[in-house]
Amino acid sequence: MSIKSSAITPEKVYKRRRVLMAAGAGVLGVPLINKAYGLFQDKQEVEAPFPQVVSLPGEKNQPLIPTPYETITTYNNYYEFGVGKDDPSKAAKTLTTSPWSVDIGGEGSDKPGRYDIADIKGESAIENHIYRFRCVEAWSMVIPWNGIKLSDVIKFALPNSKAKYVRFTTINDPQQMPNAGWAGGPYVEGLTIEEAMNPLTLLSTGIYDKPLEQQNGAPIRLVVPWKYGFKYAKSIVKIELVEKMPKNTWWLQNKREYGFYANVNPQFSHPRWTQATERVIGELGRKPTLLYNGYAQEVAHLYPDLDNRLYFY
Amino acid sequence: MGLRWLPLATQRHLMNTGLCLLLILGSFEAIMGPDLVSNLRDFTGTYGAYLLVASLLFTPLSHRFKWVKRNLWMRRNIGVWGFIYAAAHLVIWIVLEFYFDWALMLDEIKGNLFILLGIFAFFLLVPMALTSNNRAVKFLSFRKWQLLHCLTYLAIPSVIAHHFMAQKTAESEPLFMGLVLILVFIWRYRHVH
Repeated sequence: MSIKSSAITPEKVYKRRRVLMAAGAGVLGVPLINKAYGLFQDKQEVEAPFPQVVSLPGEKNQPLIPTPYETITTYNNYYEFGVGKDDPSKAAKTLTTSPWSVDIGGEGSDKPGRYDIADIKGESAIENHIYRFRCVEAWSMVIPWNGIKLSDVIKFALPNSKAKYVRFTTINDPQQMPNAGWAGGPYVEGLTIEEAMNPLTLLSTGIYDKPLEQQNGAPIRLVVPWKYGFKYAKSIVKIELVEKMPKNTWWLQNKREYGFYANVNPQFSHPRWTQATERVIGELGRKPTLLYNGYAQEVAHLYPDLDNRLYFY
Repeated sequence: MGLRWLPLATQRHLMNTGLCLLLILGSFEAIMGPDLVSNLRDFTGTYGAYLLVASLLFTPLSHRFKWVKRNLWMRRNIGVWGFIYAAAHLVIWIVLEFYFDWALMLDEIKGNLFILLGIFAFFLLVPMALTSNNRAVKFLSFRKWQLLHCLTYLAIPSVIAHHFMAQKTAESEPLFMGLVLILVFIWRYRHVH
């Protein structure tokens, strides 16, 4: 499998290419699209600005080419700012992300308190990770995240024996978010403590070495690369270590279509669409979806039963 | 509309050109976005649904408004363009979304009511689009033609259900179109009785 597209393309070239892609689609017919698309590609391979941290067995020499920054910052799901993909990038500037503090607590924490984001970041080193990003809507990107390990923050909160799950809460302020409370309250997500302690799990503070934009969940958002994108709680104001499994927003919205674990698995389809393949944003065609989004080596041990649908929606 | 002084044929051409331009410009804008596939798919689907619902409004409104009655001919053009948008929507789905991967498409369709409804509606629209010309009316006789075109009352609700079910959450737009449809049906019922 080859990964095409270049990471950094001048906007003009990028837009012109779209027209060519469409023209190609219309005129040449589909079998030729990929060929035509290849011809229009900029040939220079952009050096990945980030170290590859995680790769796939057998695919170690295939670097992930990050999606262009412009795409990552204009194609977003952030319902508090509107349900269209381009709504958040237009509307989210109204969110003030500095100063920002995060409440850390819950019955599982022996050191609860309100912490300034600088203190949280200051406790641990910023890491760079290029991860695949797979949305439950069957599209994907590759994102070069900057962030800290969630496990560092949890250790900082001194977890006790009651810390079985971690509950994340997104800011929900009608003053700053035009569609706040769309789900009847703040956006809530959750992980098991084992998932939260996994070294892949990040609290991201930036993309491409730039501070997160509001539409991407500034100033701090969750990153769990083996799960569907809705698990990545954005603009987090509260992190709680709890004993009971948190009821996450999309699960509450539609229990048939969204669950708690939401691990990527091509074998288990969403009730309304197949998860076997995905559309790579900015490219034509589809590519096969990987079990645990390609991170099986790192996380498969967390889920003893591969046939249990509970884990995969 | 202040275009009454123009010959009818010219008015018709203007309208067709306008709806064609909308399709081209809308597609162009969709292509400029980060995800051209879903943008094109959603633009053609949504605007096709608008046009089809609009085509149903002509009959009830013509009883209330003289302007609509005078321009009843527009219904055919709007309906046919609604079909063209729907056809573009289907082609985009087959070509750009699935790349002619029929097995994968089948996998997606299987047990998936919202896609089935969309396909069902499209197949109902085909005979109506094909007979949207004066020759077909003559060939079929008006009564048979009219009977055939009653299929809209099955096809367009299916389109709106398809649109509604395609959303992740209950969205106001398809709900509003559903409401409009219900009003049309109430009017129809009361008009017949």
